Amino acid sequence: MAGVSDVREIIAGDGETGVEITRNVRRWVDEQVIPNATELEHSGEFPARIHADMCEMGIFGITFPESHGGLGLSFETYSAVIEEISRGWMGLAGIINTNVIDGWIIDEHGTQEQKDRFLPGLATGEKQGCFTITEPNAGSDAQAIRTTASRDADDYILNGNKLFVTNGDRGDVYLAMTKTDPSAQPRHRGISAFLVEKDTPGFSVARTIDKLGYKGPETAELFLEDARVPADNLLGGSEGRGFQQMISGLEIGRINVASRATGVAQAAFDAAIVYAQQRETMGQQIAQHQAIQLKLAEMATKIRAARLLTRDAARKKDSGQRSDLDVGMAKLFATEVALECSLESMRVHGGVGYTKELPVERFYRDAPLMAVAEGTNEIQRIVIARRLLELYKVE
Amino acid sequence: MDVIVCVKQIPDPETPAAAFKVDEAAMQVLPAQGISPVISPFDAQAVEAALRIKDASGDGCVNIISLGPDSARDAIKHSLAMGADEGYHLKDDAFEGGDAWTTALALSKAIQHLGVPDVLIFGRQAADWDQGTVGSIVAELLDLPSATVLRAVELNGDRITVSRVVADGFENIELPTPCVLTISNEFGDPRYPQLRQIMQAARKQVTEFTAADLGLDPSEVGAAGARVQMHALYQPTSDVEVEIIEGDTPEEKAAGLVNALREAKIL
Ligand SMILES: Cc1cc2nc3c(=O)[nH]c(=O)nc-3n(C[C@H](O)[C@H](O)[C@H](O)COP(=O)(O)OP(=O)(O)OC[C@H]3O[C@@H](n4cnc5c(N)ncnc54)[C@H](O)[C@@H]3O)c2cc1C
Repeated sequence: MAGVSDVREIIAGDGETGVEITRNVRRWVDEQVIPNATELEHSGEFPARIHADMCEMGIFGITFPESHGGLGLSFETYSAVIEEISRGWMGLAGIINTNVIDGWIIDEHGTQEQKDRFLPGLATGEKQGCFTITEPNAGSDAQAIRTTASRDADDYILNGNKLFVTNGDRGDVYLAMTKTDPSAQPRHRGISAFLVEKDTPGFSVARTIDKLGYKGPETAELFLEDARVPADNLLGGSEGRGFQQMISGLEIGRINVASRATGVAQAAFDAAIVYAQQRETMGQQIAQHQAIQLKLAEMATKIRAARLLTRDAARKKDSGQRSDLDVGMAKLFATEVALECSLESMRVHGGVGYTKELPVERFYRDAPLMAVAEGTNEIQRIVIARRLLELYKVE
Repeated sequence: MDVIVCVKQIPDPETPAAAFKVDEAAMQVLPAQGISPVISPFDAQAVEAALRIKDASGDGCVNIISLGPDSARDAIKHSLAMGADEGYHLKDDAFEGGDAWTTALALSKAIQHLGVPDVLIFGRQAADWDQGTVGSIVAELLDLPSATVLRAVELNGDRITVSRVVADGFENIELPTPCVLTISNEFGDPRYPQLRQIMQAARKQVTEFTAADLGLDPSEVGAAGARVQMHALYQPTSDVEVEIIEGDTPEEKAAGLVNALREAKIL
């Protein structure tokens, strides 16, 4: 549908390159993703062919360093690409996300040997990375994790279970948060990150979890039962640094989620503005009713704001400055916009929007995940407020 | 094996019909608002064919030539991003308002200027005016054998085996090199550019040639040299009437449809 996707200006980083890359991804999404997404999503199948295309095009490696098989481009361009992909199918962005988070954390904090061993496979997408903090008793309160890692000669022995692991059934390497010192105070000093490889003895996928939306990437629960991980796989080679390492990666995940949300909101809007000109009631297109026009204007305005906020946050991250506040605001705002727009689009569609015959119901099922994952929006508000109180501290 | 592909940038054929407008007085197609022009789809397939020839032969270059305004550079960049090696842009106000003949003349001069390669490839037709003549005129001007509307191209030593799409099937023939080929949609989808190649293409210089660079006098090209004269350009109107065939069973409806088609003298 050249008509709808083409009217939107592309906002990306890296000059002409970023725009061209995004334009090409947009075309691929229009031609290959959108015509197949609904059927694949309803079937619950893993989109193997689309995944192969993404690997072939080099989408996983956009932000990876050129020294390790990436393109060395900006998070701003990455954000534009993730938005386009999610306009087709939000789940695909989740397949990419954990590779990019792992890649960034390994590049920032890993040893040279870890970079050489893990980055090239993650950059091409040939290897699936997972990023696993959450446990049955630790979600928002990430420091409450109970998985332990204790040193045994040249290895660590890991015990515990990890919940809600995106891409968990197909993972090759799991960047996992554990406690090397469960009694440490403050608690985060006892957290260490490991690169757990899939064939580790004692590691197993317990089950995959069915869910409302966000199909495509599966969500798994993992068991670690006396899993023996070589000490070489302790991220960065030192204990007690896992929490800081993880926090730095969450910003990358939040840029991804904010970009996804913008894409889903855009898809919901695109569907609404087309349908509003096709459906007639009371002798005219519903697009001519003011009630519908108000919705369209409101949606488009918020989507543009979400896009600009998200690119702005990505640009801040690219600049190397502290960006938790900017990224948090983008994630919070864009994901709320996605929730609103998917519902508003459904209202514009009337009854047919509630059926499985149009993709609006998928946008509506996909949107809430983004308000919950990568830090709930409640937590996001708390993080934003705490940072503001620091910045505006009155003596 | 060295290949040159000639590509044209055209208004996006996916443009919704409602956004397609012509200026009848100026006899021009008006660019649709906000919809970027694209490489003609047959030409993207021609680039794909060239890249496959290069891969199969194991060496050589795929170079791209496009005649058109500033924006035609994007069609060249797209071809480079698909994997082509160098791009050449024939850009001169004097080229404006030309026809298939002046385009073919300028292209053939550029090809001679660069050196006639082993294979010259075109799309079967540009998907805007759909004339399908430029490739054949270039073949004639350069005195090269040609095969048009191809669905398959294979290297066979220093010869090329092709399969043509003809009215009642396919025609398989062999050509010596150098030769001219035009590629049809049956050839198959062009590859999506890899992001790395898009990045490299964005950094690559495109060489520009004016009419004078190619030894062409302004009177030979563009509107001045055109041999086709346009008398009118307009959008035909079509009045579509819909008739719903009623019936209680599928059989009744089918019988009603057959009657209606007979009455309309379609059957
Ligand atoms: C499909 C899916 C995929 C996921 N993928 C991953 C993954 O790959 N890796 C991973 O590690 N995790 C993953 N998660 C986990 C996700 O990050 C957590 O679900 C999320 O952080 C919330 O944690 P929780 O579910 O334990 O909710 P809880 O922390 O129990 O929160 C419940 C409610 O209480 C609120 N709340 C909690 N604490 C506070 C507070 N201090 N103040 C105010 N309100 C509060 C929350 O906002 C929420 O509304 C995934 C989750 C889902 C659903």
